Amino acid sequence: MAHLNETLTRIRYRIWPDHVVGEILSKPWMETAIPVLVLVATFAILSWLVPGFFTFAQLSIIAREGGELGFIVLGLSIVIMAGGVDLSVGSIFAVTNFIVLLLMHEYEWSAAPAVAVTILAGMALGAVNGILIGYLRLRAFLTTLITLIIFRAVYEIWTADHATAIAMSLPDSATWDFLGIGLIRGIPVNVWLFAAVALACHVLLTRLRPGWHLMAIGGSRRAAYNAGIAVRRTIALTYVASGGLTAIAAIFFGARLASVGGNIGVGMEVTALTAAVLGGITLGGGRGSVTKAIVGLAIVLIITNGMTAYSASGGAIRMTLAAILVAAAVIDIRWIKNRHRIISSVYVSPDYLYLPPPPSCEAKPGNAWAVNDTLRGVDVIGLGEVEGPEDVILDRNDNLYSGSRHGDIVRFLAPDYKRMEIFAHIGGQPLGLAFDREDNLNVCVGGMGLYQVSPAGEVRKLTDETNRSWTSVNDDSRLRLADDLDIADDGRIFFSEATRRYEMSEYAVDALESRPAGRIICHDPRTGSTRTVIDRLRFPNGISMCDDGQSFLFAQTSAASVSRYWFDGPKKGRIEVLIDNLPGYPDNINKASDGNYWVALVGMRGPALDLAMRMPGFRKRMTQRLPFDEWMFPNINNGCVFKINLEGKVLYSLWDPQGINHPMITSMREHKGWLYLGGLSNNRIGRYKLPESEADPAYVQYARRWGLPT
Amino acid sequence: MHRFQLSQQMIVSVIFVLLFAGLSLLLPGFANTENLLTLLQNVAILGILGLGMAVIVIGRGVDLSMIASLAIPVALTLQLADAGHSTALAIIAGLALSALFGAANGWLIAYAEVPPLFVTLASGLFLAGLGQAFLFSTEAVVWPEPLQFLSAIGRGRLAGIPNSIWIFALVAVAVHAFLSRLTAGVFTYSMGDNPMAARLAGIPVRIMVIVQYVSSALIATLAGFVMAASVGSMSTRIYNSTWIYDVILVVVLGGIGLSGGRGSVTNVLIGTLLIGTLLNGLTILDVSFPVQNLIKGFVLLAAIMADTVLNPRNEETAQQGDI
Amino acid sequence: MRNSLRILAMGVALLALPGVTVAKGIKEPLRDGYYQALKGKKVAFLPGAMAMDLAIGWLAGLKSELEPQGVEIVVRDPNFNIQAGAQALTQLIAEKPDVIVVHNPDVTTYAKLIKQAEANGILIVQINMASLQKSTAYVGVDWVEMGAVQARHVVEACKGKSGKIAIVQGDLTAAASAYTMSGIESVLAENPDIKVVSNQSASWQSDKAKSITQTVLKQNPDLCGIIGFWDNMDRGTAAAVDEAGLSDQVYVATSGGGETKAACDMVKSGAYDLNVVYSVPNQGANLASTIKYLLSAGVKPGEISGQMYTTLTPVTAANAGDEGICWTMKQ
Repeated sequence: MAHLNETLTRIRYRIWPDHVVGEILSKPWMETAIPVLVLVATFAILSWLVPGFFTFAQLSIIAREGGELGFIVLGLSIVIMAGGVDLSVGSIFAVTNFIVLLLMHEYEWSAAPAVAVTILAGMALGAVNGILIGYLRLRAFLTTLITLIIFRAVYEIWTADHATAIAMSLPDSATWDFLGIGLIRGIPVNVWLFAAVALACHVLLTRLRPGWHLMAIGGSRRAAYNAGIAVRRTIALTYVASGGLTAIAAIFFGARLASVGGNIGVGMEVTALTAAVLGGITLGGGRGSVTKAIVGLAIVLIITNGMTAYSASGGAIRMTLAAILVAAAVIDIRWIKNRHRIISSVYVSPDYLYLPPPPSCEAKPGNAWAVNDTLRGVDVIGLGEVEGPEDVILDRNDNLYSGSRHGDIVRFLAPDYKRMEIFAHIGGQPLGLAFDREDNLNVCVGGMGLYQVSPAGEVRKLTDETNRSWTSVNDDSRLRLADDLDIADDGRIFFSEATRRYEMSEYAVDALESRPAGRIICHDPRTGSTRTVIDRLRFPNGISMCDDGQSFLFAQTSAASVSRYWFDGPKKGRIEVLIDNLPGYPDNINKASDGNYWVALVGMRGPALDLAMRMPGFRKRMTQRLPFDEWMFPNINNGCVFKINLEGKVLYSLWDPQGINHPMITSMREHKGWLYLGGLSNNRIGRYKLPESEADPAYVQYARRWGLPT
Repeated sequence: MHRFQLSQQMIVSVIFVLLFAGLSLLLPGFANTENLLTLLQNVAILGILGLGMAVIVIGRGVDLSMIASLAIPVALTLQLADAGHSTALAIIAGLALSALFGAANGWLIAYAEVPPLFVTLASGLFLAGLGQAFLFSTEAVVWPEPLQFLSAIGRGRLAGIPNSIWIFALVAVAVHAFLSRLTAGVFTYSMGDNPMAARLAGIPVRIMVIVQYVSSALIATLAGFVMAASVGSMSTRIYNSTWIYDVILVVVLGGIGLSGGRGSVTNVLIGTLLIGTLLNGLTILDVSFPVQNLIKGFVLLAAIMADTVLNPRNEETAQQGDI
Repeated sequence: MRNSLRILAMGVALLALPGVTVAKGIKEPLRDGYYQALKGKKVAFLPGAMAMDLAIGWLAGLKSELEPQGVEIVVRDPNFNIQAGAQALTQLIAEKPDVIVVHNPDVTTYAKLIKQAEANGILIVQINMASLQKSTAYVGVDWVEMGAVQARHVVEACKGKSGKIAIVQGDLTAAASAYTMSGIESVLAENPDIKVVSNQSASWQSDKAKSITQTVLKQNPDLCGIIGFWDNMDRGTAAAVDEAGLSDQVYVATSGGGETKAACDMVKSGAYDLNVVYSVPNQGANLASTIKYLLSAGVKPGEISGQMYTTLTPVTAANAGDEGICWTMKQ
């Protein structure tokens, strides 16, 4: 029975993608979730209240209004996102509406120049705001309040003189009429234009540099200024854009109604502001998107049009709009405030993993895993000078390199390794290290990707992304945790990415999940291309090339196994498990002088965790109900190095169970009869003298791999 | 080291003095007592609203719903009194509606943490809609006979000075006392200056927010009573006007920054006087309404530009979210 | 055409009946056609805002006259927002009612839509405020005449006095203001001794009207008349005159829809000397009659275009107390 249950659990966790919920919630566009829900709800309620209202003809009418108001909302949203506000849009709307009607009706221009001049006029009015607010640093709220009054006064003075002349003549222009009532494929012409402009704005804001500058200014004006962004010009331009977009709205309005009535544009700023706020665009800047603006616009349009068609009184419409505005703001603020909390409670989604009982490590004769004290007396290099040397490597001149938590690659100089210098500064924590044929040091950097350091210490990025896998919700093209690497004869770099779900600082959570979220990636420096070669691995870690030049070994930490993968030759594409069910969690793999391989065990398995791994629901409850500090994590504080041959036979193991001199081992490198030891959370590098019988005292990995220098 | 610096308040004062002197010299009939009283009377309601807004703005908020709380509670009182309910009940109902409305504003801002601009934008819309949809059948509610005893707050004179000016003065003194003599006033300044620090210092910030919005709603309702008594009716259509912008301008023009923590009653008085003088002079000159607005706009623009030129802000000292 | 055919058929049927000698129980020839023409028809009402006393009065007239005949009446409330009004009218055109009663906010905004509606076969009846676009019918005030009537009374009252008058307009851009102004000007042109010392807009707001009037009275204490454009706004005008203690000297003329509180009561109290009233209930009845006629006659849009100007009643202290001069709104 218990067996059947476990089978069901296994199948359930294989089929059901638990992690997707958290990944969807952490998408940036989930910020828009609440406004979208409000939109769907209002739409549903109104289509239930007003049967037959949402016919194509009615929607088309609403869309035409939306295609006018939308330009204003878009302009206002851009201004708000950059940290300002434009209250003068209603007045600019009135003035530009007047200008286009004056040109078309009274001066009888043709449509094209009239439209062009009107848009320029709108931009000029916006530029007044822009210069005052952007360059003279006036406060946006007050300034646009005053320009609202001024522009409206100008409109009223002009209309008093020209209203009759405009009303009495009718322009004879097919283009003009088309702008007012034209349809393309049954949809109003201005809706098409609005869609195009909205798309362009979306691309601008999310994909192009000016849009990023704008969002940066909205997010933190001071930081943007210090980063060298042209704050004043960008801000001024947002108002110009707002003015220009408002003018476009006015042109369509003018073409549709040809009205120069006194109230045109009055209160429009409030409607546009309501739409922007309903969409979730934050006043003060930095948060917002075109989608949000459109969603907010749609809510306002559906409510006002739907309720008018329901014969609701003006008062009732106002109350509904106000209630929805407040409700949306309250929910949105709660959502933004608690979103990360919700995400953190659902993001962690443990998987089912069955590991058989591990081999015994009892100190019995003939047991390769027998615990011993061999590593207890290792020498210590750079005690207190180096922090977090995950991997260590030696060059052909016997100098010792390792990464450090400070984002440096440090070098201990031969022969005594007493002097330390910073070889290169990368910025992220260096993990796996490998020399290529030209003496370049290739480095996997957590959170950054694959980097290369020349012998002169110059740092160069090789790649920080791979091909996106289409089944992943997260955009997994960017590398989050490149871990270890090795280089094929032809220069191709194979490296592991431990997980695509967590940052380096949270790697232990991925280990707790034990989800196959890691992969092995190949970077080809000849073409500059980067492709994922093996996907769905459980915390892939160490990589070491085999002598055949066609395959490499790789370790999966969470799965406690070492496998071999052929990337060339007759067995190309095949994966074979070399050994599984290790007693601990394997980390880096490196070549030994006798042709076998050293593997580091970063920690030991325990029966409690092994059992928990078969109970994903239990681990899920644990992450939800206990604070992070109380979670059950894999042991990572045990030093063990073992040697394995290509048949998967463990030859012997070296231990330091007390962990006094070298508490944690994540990597080891054999060099001239010594075994150099690194550990991710250590403040030292260890050095163990291998017995003469087991090591070639002349072994230099570089020379063995790439030959002697010519 | 004392460095002389022209504040916004002083700039506006200078503009006011220049304008006043200019109009007195050039415009016959401007500088006589009667006209000056008219000038004051014409801006008294704007001034009262400005005082209510000042309390809010100093506490780093803004209240766009003041016109709604000016119109709807008063219209409710008038309608109840007209329908034959006792005057006491009518007045209490109006004031209760106003206080409840202010408290709802404050609660949404303090506890639901919605920015004041949105709360008051929406709540004003809500109250105006409520009045239209459920309380009144038409936009204008007439000052009824049973309330005649109260009409003195908007009409008539005491000691030769129109009563609305007295009310304005009374509110000014009360707000001044609140801001400078009461602990709650000190709290208001510290909240405006740095809400986070005020909260950490143990000031009951949330309660204070509610107190501020209740007070601004009640002050607006008082202004509404003065206005309704003065013209003999309350038109709820006034909510549709852009009057609230004038109120904000009066406050900010006088030198009360929208970022909060600065300013006093004096600032509101100066702002109100400048607007009053300007509009009075232009009306005497029979300048048309749009041209009056145009001139008003340019004077306001000149005032805030002068402030910016004399007290420039830069990127390093700018406050985030200060729009 | 269809109706007459039907009548003809009825006549033939009657003749065919044998032995009809007595004219008792003779079929009335019109009513069937009338009821059929009205039954199930849809009339849409689009006022400036339902919160206006005018709109309430008109709607009451439409309902009491038309609903018993089986006409459905729908209301769209743009709440003083002309963009909302234009949108509501556009939606109505798509809904295709038989008649739309339109209260224009100004002369231009709805013009194109009115044309479009009539082209789509919907009859447009404009109420109280005509658009530049003519439609099948206009029912409402002759604003030019309105201005002239007020001006004549003020001119009369100013005889022998300073001759200084003030004008308090509503919105300068509202067409009613412009037409009223032209009526006033035509009268003033014949009376050169009358001088307009102030011509200001109070944007339909009573407090603004009061401010303007106060200032004008301070500058011109010898003012003899004021013409206001709307009685609800001119409460402020009257209050200013009253406070200045000049009620006897200054003749206050205004106009409005004749609601008792806004019109007759104010004239009785002496606040206004003249309120030129257009009776809203009469306008409502006129509206309903026009619609009945148009529908029963089977008129198609564009075939005819006619006006029905409302009678203007000058209400002064002499007739303010008379029965039927003003009307009272039901709460």
